[in-house]
Amino acid sequence: MHVEPKTKLGRVVNNIEETLIALILGLMTIVTFANVVARALDSNILWALETTVYLFAWLVLIGASYCVKTRAHLGVDVVLNIVSPGVRRLLAIFSISACLAFSVLLLIGSWNYWAPFAALPQLDGTVRDQAFYIVDDIPMPEFLRFLEDAINQGETYDKLPKLIPYVALPIGVLLLNIRFLQLAWQILTGEADRIITSHEAEDLVEEAAAKADKEG
Amino acid sequence: MDVAFLFLMVIGFLMLGVPIAISLGLSSIVFLMIFSDSSLGSIAQTLFNAYAGHFTLLAIPFFILASTFMSTGGVARRIIRFAVACVGHFQGGLAIAGVFACMLFAALSGSSPATVVAIGTIVIAGMRQVGYTKDFAAGVICNAGTLGILIPPSIVMVVYASAVDVSVGRMFLAGVIPGLLAGLMLMIGIYVVAKVRGLPAQDWPGLWLGLKEILISGLHAFFGLLLIVIILGGIYGGIFTPTEAAAVAAVYAFFIANFVYRDMGPLKGEGDVRHSFFKRPYTLITVFFHPDTKHSLLEAGKTTIMLLFIIGNALILKHVLTEEQIPQTIAAAMLDAGFGPIMFLVIVNVILLIGGQFMEPSGLIVIVAPLVFPIAIELGIDPIHLGIIMVVNMEIGMITPPVGLNLFVTSGVAGMPMIRVVKAALPWLGIMFIFLILVTYIPWLSTAIPNALMGPEIIIR
Repeated sequence: MHVEPKTKLGRVVNNIEETLIALILGLMTIVTFANVVARALDSNILWALETTVYLFAWLVLIGASYCVKTRAHLGVDVVLNIVSPGVRRLLAIFSISACLAFSVLLLIGSWNYWAPFAALPQLDGTVRDQAFYIVDDIPMPEFLRFLEDAINQGETYDKLPKLIPYVALPIGVLLLNIRFLQLAWQILTGEADRIITSHEAEDLVEEAAAKADKEG
Repeated sequence: MDVAFLFLMVIGFLMLGVPIAISLGLSSIVFLMIFSDSSLGSIAQTLFNAYAGHFTLLAIPFFILASTFMSTGGVARRIIRFAVACVGHFQGGLAIAGVFACMLFAALSGSSPATVVAIGTIVIAGMRQVGYTKDFAAGVICNAGTLGILIPPSIVMVVYASAVDVSVGRMFLAGVIPGLLAGLMLMIGIYVVAKVRGLPAQDWPGLWLGLKEILISGLHAFFGLLLIVIILGGIYGGIFTPTEAAAVAAVYAFFIANFVYRDMGPLKGEGDVRHSFFKRPYTLITVFFHPDTKHSLLEAGKTTIMLLFIIGNALILKHVLTEEQIPQTIAAAMLDAGFGPIMFLVIVNVILLIGGQFMEPSGLIVIVAPLVFPIAIELGIDPIHLGIIMVVNMEIGMITPPVGLNLFVTSGVAGMPMIRVVKAALPWLGIMFIFLILVTYIPWLSTAIPNALMGPEIIIR
């Protein structure tokens, strides 16, 4: 489904989301390709693999909320299609409640998992300081050096601290919560009657059908 | 029966219209909260590691991206022209060429719906023009399109390889003979129907012109088809890993689409006008900022997110199953019941055919593969063979109602109601079933090439 944002803010956010998805996928491809080229030249980009893998996690976790907005998440709509509109509405309310339950629980889990990397308290108040955890290969960029004093008791980071790549988890799941809440509102106001798409090629088929119509 | 509760939850959520990914994830979380003392934090960790810890899965976004660049219309048209030139002059030629084109396109794309859309939009219309019925055309393409996941590269194979830790390269090689066989069986079926019904053949323009057309169209399609050579050659030549091969394929497809075929990007003019690169060399830079590039990246990104979000949550469920030692329990129960390999494979077929009705293929493989894998090993079934059986089951799941993915896509592409597509696809579904039986009980079909090229599979129990 193609979503046209109605407000100016909506358009800006939409643009940011779409650019970010395209950019991350593009970067993953270029970094992996560059590493192949480097190896052909008897060299090696040491941090290429790890960077790509983290970008991959960023792509899916941050992008999951965008797919809620565009209704791109797959589901089974056999039952939805045969019941009356009233029942469909009830089912939609049930579904969105399930989604919210999932995203809230996952948000708690994400925060509890990530917080120690940033030396922040978990939700129950315990502080397990794991701020010294670092990744394997990605070097520490200079502009992040302030983190050493901020959370690592002034100790130097040899590599990127884990809190940077893993922050995709709480951020992505938080965005997921926001989008599900938005969708819940749309369902309650009757603007939307389902939260899934029945198959992955809906956009492709729409495009193809539009093309066929044009060519007669 | 804790596990029955778990699976009932999953199926219940699915049926009531909860997204697949959420159904899998939420059921696992609820199960863990009731029956085990794992923390929510560890679930979040599992989800993150689904992406950060599986280097093999990383091949999927790159294959999707390559396929997106290759789906820009021009490549499919060139492949179809080549296919018609090769086999069009047989009786029922355009339909046979349609199957051949699907096979060729499957070698560029790892997905079945993408294959149906790319080839179907052109071939179904073409077949109607020369006098085939719409139903015949749709039925053929709907079935042939499923070859997208059997002929390498294949996204479903990458998922299987990642789920049970076998080599992606082996799986790709194993798909070659079954892929060719399935295509051949469909072609023979069409030929027989064509003889009986007296379906039209394309005019054969004489030997010389015919060969010339094969050569010229072959040359046009060559740059596209080189993609599969790069992928397979690169993997087996040991130049790069399957994931890197996928990335190289994506970059290659990007350049072919923008600078050779020019059906997208800065060198595409109005209508059929194509600008010369040598007059506009600056496009080598501007292409990266062209709206078409962003559009393709976004589309591929969306498909990746949707697919991988399901796989990630399926991995949470898999994590639960392994933690509860479910695969071992099931394996022991089945072995105690005295099931032999044949009975076991029948059960696997049935589970997958039913599951394939409701679940997205990749997600289903992530869950079912770890369940049946240990039993298969106990019974001495080759893991690669098992993988191919699963892929063929997924293919059939795509063309059986109510939720066959290819049925939806064909119905959209051909502009036919779903129920008519189901009927149209039915006769050819019979051929695919015979094919499934062949693949299930003749392991040689799957294992011959990988064993010959990479040595026999070593199974560590």
